[in-house]
Amino acid sequence: MNNILEVNGLKKDFGSFCLDNVSFSLQEGCITGFIGINGAGKTTTIKSILGLVLKDAGSIKLFGKEISENEREMKNRIGVVLDEGYFYEDMTMMEMKRIIAASYSNWDESVFKGYISRFKLILNQKISTLSKGMRMKYSIALALSHHADLLIMDEPTSGLDPLVRNELMDILLEFMRGKGKSVFFSTHITSDLDKVADVLLLIDEGKIVFSEEKDMILDTHGLVKGDRALLNEQTRKLFLSLNETEYSFEGVTNKKTAVRQQMSGVLIERPTIEDIMLTYVGGNEDVI
Amino acid sequence: MLFNLVLKDFILAKKYIVFIIIIAIAVPIYITASEVSNNGGFSGFFITALYLEHFLFATVSVAEEKYKGAALLCTTPYTRNTLVKAKYISGLAIFICAYIIYTITAFVVPMGIEKLNIFAFGSSLLIITIIWGFIIPTQYKFGYEKTKYISIIFIFTSIIAVPNILKWLNSKDISFQVAIPQIIQNLTPFVFALGIGFISMILSIQIYSKKDL
Repeated sequence: MNNILEVNGLKKDFGSFCLDNVSFSLQEGCITGFIGINGAGKTTTIKSILGLVLKDAGSIKLFGKEISENEREMKNRIGVVLDEGYFYEDMTMMEMKRIIAASYSNWDESVFKGYISRFKLILNQKISTLSKGMRMKYSIALALSHHADLLIMDEPTSGLDPLVRNELMDILLEFMRGKGKSVFFSTHITSDLDKVADVLLLIDEGKIVFSEEKDMILDTHGLVKGDRALLNEQTRKLFLSLNETEYSFEGVTNKKTAVRQQMSGVLIERPTIEDIMLTYVGGNEDVI
Repeated sequence: MLFNLVLKDFILAKKYIVFIIIIAIAVPIYITASEVSNNGGFSGFFITALYLEHFLFATVSVAEEKYKGAALLCTTPYTRNTLVKAKYISGLAIFICAYIIYTITAFVVPMGIEKLNIFAFGSSLLIITIIWGFIIPTQYKFGYEKTKYISIIFIFTSIIAVPNILKWLNSKDISFQVAIPQIIQNLTPFVFALGIGFISMILSIQIYSKKDL
């Protein structure tokens, strides 16, 4: 598979926070979940890719070309959904659409109208009167009506009810049925990614912790539950994270075979993405 | 592309449009009624244009500051460079609107509002370009909140000072009529306005290209 986006050595220093040598790539035909806790650097990374935040160093290539040198061409090929919308709220959806649509060389009005009809949006409605869910659907309609190859979304599910979140996931899967499509999707609500993500990219304190296929990560890690008495100096080393109560423990390991051999009687479950994320954030830099 | 960005500014100010038009009609009528020297239509038109520019520019700036829509626009094929150029073209469009409203008012209202001569038109354009040629890059650098008071002081000082300076010049019988062909005298303010506007725009583009949105 081709790399659709390549980020190399990205640095941005805000003083109190910095992106530190961020490097990763996105593959064509994949939904990549960009995970991390609030303030980890997800939005700054996405804004750097989009040129909203100016990088101090590094290279960002989209479809093999440096994005800053081919801005108009590249932005015609991406659709963007930002967490806060950034709409002019005094405008109606029709007015806002007119301004956005005019920027794209390949805007498809019939696709847009299809989404508007599907989402039951009324174009003469003011943006300020839209609910969070409707606003997100409107953003999606704007982002997908110019036949984008890459959809970049920053925390699109934040503040949405489960029904709308589920609907959004279905739209992403539908979008991915097109040839050569990819999605880059940041979130701290990791349950959204269980259903749709192919690849997970974890960022913490401005550094990329890992970039791996979701199934590979979930298969190689285990959520271990058992009697606390089984923990000793030797067995503790098998865990990436451990939560202990008076009688029991729960921990995440990437050494499942060793745990099975050394700790008989423990229960090993498949971890959730959230278990994995919480294991690796906050300075735990054990390599997968 | 540019047209739609200019249109965006007018849409953002649309709820004030009727109010703005009323003021734009009222100012030249007031100037004429109060028998202030209008210098070939200059005072009435200049104050009208200055007022419109200030009001619309402030309205759009408040909306931009509040909604941060430029960030969304920059994720689309609109470049920062295009956004800045559109801002200057919006300013010019407002100026032309002021001219149209003034001219219609002068024709329609039967109280002898002076028709605008080309020198008064050019001089108004030049002074307004100087003012906004300063305000726009300053605002791109420091943001609307930090610069709004500077703009207001600048503009209201101009409203009071410029007509009074002209009145004083008239009373002293100081004339700029030198041995230069009339057409060059008339075109000079346009050339200077174009030059100042261009330099200011380049400056704004450079400032905005270095900003985090």
